[in-house]
Amino acid sequence: MSNQGILVCGEIAEGKLAPITLELLGIGRKLANDLGQELNILLMGSGIGNLAQEAIAFGADKVHVADNALLQEYNSDAYTAVAAKLCQKISPDIVLLGQTDGGRDLAPRLAGRLGGGLAMDCLELSIDPSTKLLVQTRPVFGGNANARIVSKAARPQMATIRSKTMAPAVRDDSRKGQVIPVEDIDASTVKVKVLERVKEKTEGVKLEDAEVVVSGGRGIGNAQNFQVLRDLANLLNGAVGATRAACEEGWIPMTHQVGQTGKIVSPKLYIAVALSGAMQHIAGCSGSKCVIAVNKDGGANIFKIATYGIVGDYKEVIPALSQKLKELLGK
Amino acid sequence: MAHREIFWNISHEYIMYVLSFIAVVFVAYAIYRHYKMWRMGKGDERSKNMGSRVWAFVKTGFADGLGHRRFLREPYPGIMHLLIFWGCVILLLAAAVDAITHYLVIPLEGSTYLWFSLVVDIAGILVLIGVILAITRRYIQKPERLNTFLDDGVILSLIAIVIITGYMIEGLRLAATEVNTNPDWALWSPVGLVFTKKTLFGGLSHDTILTLHSVLWWFHAVLVNGTIIYVALSYSKLQHIVISPLNAFFRNLGPVGAPAPIDMETAEVLGVGEIKDFTWKQLLDGDACTNCGRCQDVCPAWASGKPLSPRKLTQDIKTQWQKVANPKSNPPESLPPLIGGAIAEDEIWACTTCAACQQACPVFIEHIVKIIDMRRNLTMMQSKMPENIQLMLRNMQTRGHPWVGAQTLRLRGDWTSGLGLNTLAEDSNVDMLLWVGCTAALSDRNVEVTLALVRVLKAAGVSFGILGEDEPCCGDPARRAGYEIQFQTSVEQNIALLQGYNVKNIVATCPHCYNTFKNEYPKFGGSFNVVHHTQLIADLLKQDKIKLTCDLRSLATYHDPCYLGRYNSIYSEPRNILHAIPQLKLKEMERSHSKSFCCGGGGTHMWFEQQIGTKVNDIRTDEALKTNAEIVATACPYCLLMLEEAIQGKDLQQPLKAKDIAELVDQAMEKSA
Amino acid sequence: MHIIVCVKQIPDPEVPPAKFKIDPDTKKVMPPPGLPPVISVFDERAVELACRIKEKNPGTKITAITMGPGKVSDVVKHALAMGADEGIVLQDKAFEDSDSFGNAHILAKAIQKIGSYDLILCGRQAADWDIGQTGSILAETLGIPVVTVAKDIEVAGDKIKVSRVMEDGYEVVEAPLPCVVTVSNEVGLPRLPSGMGIIQAARKQVPAWTAADIGADPAKIGPAAAHSEITSLFIPTRDTTCEVITADTLAEAAVKLALKLRETKVV
Repeated sequence: MSNQGILVCGEIAEGKLAPITLELLGIGRKLANDLGQELNILLMGSGIGNLAQEAIAFGADKVHVADNALLQEYNSDAYTAVAAKLCQKISPDIVLLGQTDGGRDLAPRLAGRLGGGLAMDCLELSIDPSTKLLVQTRPVFGGNANARIVSKAARPQMATIRSKTMAPAVRDDSRKGQVIPVEDIDASTVKVKVLERVKEKTEGVKLEDAEVVVSGGRGIGNAQNFQVLRDLANLLNGAVGATRAACEEGWIPMTHQVGQTGKIVSPKLYIAVALSGAMQHIAGCSGSKCVIAVNKDGGANIFKIATYGIVGDYKEVIPALSQKLKELLGK
Repeated sequence: MAHREIFWNISHEYIMYVLSFIAVVFVAYAIYRHYKMWRMGKGDERSKNMGSRVWAFVKTGFADGLGHRRFLREPYPGIMHLLIFWGCVILLLAAAVDAITHYLVIPLEGSTYLWFSLVVDIAGILVLIGVILAITRRYIQKPERLNTFLDDGVILSLIAIVIITGYMIEGLRLAATEVNTNPDWALWSPVGLVFTKKTLFGGLSHDTILTLHSVLWWFHAVLVNGTIIYVALSYSKLQHIVISPLNAFFRNLGPVGAPAPIDMETAEVLGVGEIKDFTWKQLLDGDACTNCGRCQDVCPAWASGKPLSPRKLTQDIKTQWQKVANPKSNPPESLPPLIGGAIAEDEIWACTTCAACQQACPVFIEHIVKIIDMRRNLTMMQSKMPENIQLMLRNMQTRGHPWVGAQTLRLRGDWTSGLGLNTLAEDSNVDMLLWVGCTAALSDRNVEVTLALVRVLKAAGVSFGILGEDEPCCGDPARRAGYEIQFQTSVEQNIALLQGYNVKNIVATCPHCYNTFKNEYPKFGGSFNVVHHTQLIADLLKQDKIKLTCDLRSLATYHDPCYLGRYNSIYSEPRNILHAIPQLKLKEMERSHSKSFCCGGGGTHMWFEQQIGTKVNDIRTDEALKTNAEIVATACPYCLLMLEEAIQGKDLQQPLKAKDIAELVDQAMEKSA
Repeated sequence: MHIIVCVKQIPDPEVPPAKFKIDPDTKKVMPPPGLPPVISVFDERAVELACRIKEKNPGTKITAITMGPGKVSDVVKHALAMGADEGIVLQDKAFEDSDSFGNAHILAKAIQKIGSYDLILCGRQAADWDIGQTGSILAETLGIPVVTVAKDIEVAGDKIKVSRVMEDGYEVVEAPLPCVVTVSNEVGLPRLPSGMGIIQAARKQVPAWTAADIGADPAKIGPAAAHSEITSLFIPTRDTTCEVITADTLAEAAVKLALKLRETKVV
């Protein structure tokens, strides 16, 4: 059996195609064009019929819609069952998912069930012109190195992509495509039930969406000292981030963690304060346009990725910076 | 011939013997009870080497006991205690002389008797002056460190009443005898004579005097024996008369603050979690404490507002011990736990192990090892410790050094790059091993010191090798944190490593490594010749192997690191080096040498900060600033970091730099190129 | 209740980036000398979580298993010292260079040999290759449910309630036993092994099982059976050069920086 076509597992947020879905469609379209294959998308949710046309406009050739109350929110068992069944039916050559709460969970289960070859958290995807294999580039060793990975025989070739690494698909409402409903799912496959979802409050702007992020590391010293970072972030309409170490110290909630296992941010301005720049942290902020490093230690790794740096005690630098910016911004 | 009759005017004197016998029985019972209570504790090697103990006790007994060397470091309380002590000693000796002369029928007469009378009279006055000084201090001056209980007032009153009634009895006897028969004899009892004056007992009839004398005599006798019984039965601090010398006898004759090794194979309990886990000597410590508060006055934790007072800690252990010993009135289930109850965890973690308390204690109480023993229980039995201590210990366990996160910047061997130094693996045919230590290898500021020291050693032509990236941690931070298991693992591995290279001589840059190697490794079978770099440099200067020619033109002060000073009595070498530097003036801080104040970084505090009170390093830096010095020299990587941090945190008008002595020597050395 | 925790030994991830070296030919990482390997941070948190469950549910038994070449028993000893009851090492030349599918097969076979189990805990990913698949594939292989990126587990009879980390908070799910749970660093700092724990761990025997012992299928393990392969390994280059701003005082440097940010319209 030869596998054909590209399948994207789309995600839906607040009744719309999530930003990651547009990125997936963008790269999916490109790969499909390179291979001369069809681009499929699977949309799972409840009351989502209207999104099929959207997906087509963003580049999908075929939209598989699994519209079921059981799929209202992400459920690992249900989503895996639906996706696996579809894959078994259409035998795609490539399956793409997002490195998100859902995709991170779904992808390895799906791979385990289908026996494909999976690379998680990819930064780049391309087709090898000679072998026509999917070449996946992903960070390893906390971002210290990157590896290129291919699956020679295992099918489907699967990848999850890190958010904000691929160009989102461009809307073209004139596009045509096919909408295929997915059969009802078997409720008995759902063994794990979601009891509640708790959103942890974040003050001000969401970290992932912020154009300015001010992050602190272990050098901040204690929870109270994070206030100077908050002040600067508020001034710039930004959000406060932190390293894993600072979060584990309990100085700031875990939801503020920036890094490989925390949030991936790519703001216009990333101000890294009193953090040394461990690779797993840099992995979460290396997409930032401009990085400012403030650290006592001039040899700290963070200076290697920074645009501007000041070597010195942040307690002296940050308040002065806030003061001057306040003046300049007329606030 | 001048003399006096013993039991003059007293009949039924056998009653006094009955009274004394009762008192002796109570004293014997008290001794037995205390002995039983001390033995609640575990064994202690202090019961060994009795010969050297007796010798040490006799040797220092004159200075510390009779001479009050430790007490007199503070004049007021020192003199106060000295007066009471010597007064009482003379009075006791006088009583003994009375008894001997009476029963051996050796007459005490003539001028000997007269001088005897005078000395005894003066002794009483000494005691009274001492008591008045004590009352003034405790009830009027009320220094912060004194914690007053009812017992303090009771015993001071009892002493005063015993002395005063003694004088009154003497006065009455004189009024009835010598004043009339041999008035010039009476002059030799000047205080007693006061009570023969008209205004006091002088106007009384002879019979009244006799009756009053006999009544007072019996009152005095009952009071004295009653006092003895009170002291024996209560936990009165007067017990220290016996217990403190005993504690001094069993005092630590070995290195300062070195906890006992734990036999990991057989140990059932690790560290001290309850009273019975202490050794009998540690319990005796508490019993010997008189609550004088000298330790509290010098404690950096207390001075910076932390919850630890060594005085309170000792007293709290004592109280808990007394309660545990009396389960009838203190049912075990009603007792608070020792750790987290009688002693708060914050107290246990506040100690910087600076040893100022032990240095100050007149009765040789050892606080540090008890604190480390309780930390051992917390870290190894209960897994309870401040988070940063846990991080530090985890780092020691997995990465072999206590500096969490430092590794993301540099590796252990990085400092050696470009120096052309040989590791022992490359060439072990050298005179000594330069043991750099974790801090001096990993912390940027300290690496500067290491490099300076290497330049000095090279200039002096010292033949030395290093371990480079293979150098492990000496284990000290784990031991001070109570994580003995990690310490002993490190020690075992390090001894094997060093013996593998046949290392005999070690020069250590860090006083903590130095102390651990010198004083604590031998217990584990690792004996090396260890010197601190200040000792080596002082020696090289003496041998003229280094020439210091460059002017530094500066005023410096020297901060004694605790683990060099109080732990190892290295006070003169660092100062000798500073004196040898041209144009460098040395001005001592108010507290220096054995009275030096901690930088705040010892006892694991280098890796965690108790967010209570103020900072110890700020206090010490203020003391350095008072000297107007431009340089605060030190010889310990922790002290350097702590002082530097405090200096940076202050908005200083005057320039003050923290420097290691090795850096100053490097600066002052003749530069060939 | 029997908890099986899978732990992995990895090169110390806290290596200074400048010291991180790879061999592009063999596509392997070369740890700097003198830097001992450690237990993967997420796996250690899995052990921590297992110990917390054991504290709340007396009678719980924890078995730690690891796989790898060399002295990997160290990480099992570490788990034992933290509070695990038994440890097993899976070691065989044939296991080496297996991918997530191979590893999951080996673990599944070993777990089947152990026999009874209620809960299998793994780190969310190994902090070396950061692959993050083994736990889920293991669950699929064993045919039991999986809950990923957990930060807390509460046992309620024959079910567990798991708090899963989400980008904007967490969700609580209920899963039947047996199941696999992968554990995230949000669990918090793992405990320091107690002294008694270390002593007892040192005394415990840790058996080593080979491919034959567990009956691993040779066709499913080793590099030949890998579903995907690494074609190249490289250290990404960054072309940024940092402009370090200096001035007499730090405050002045900060002012200069503010002006620069305004000039370049970053803010």
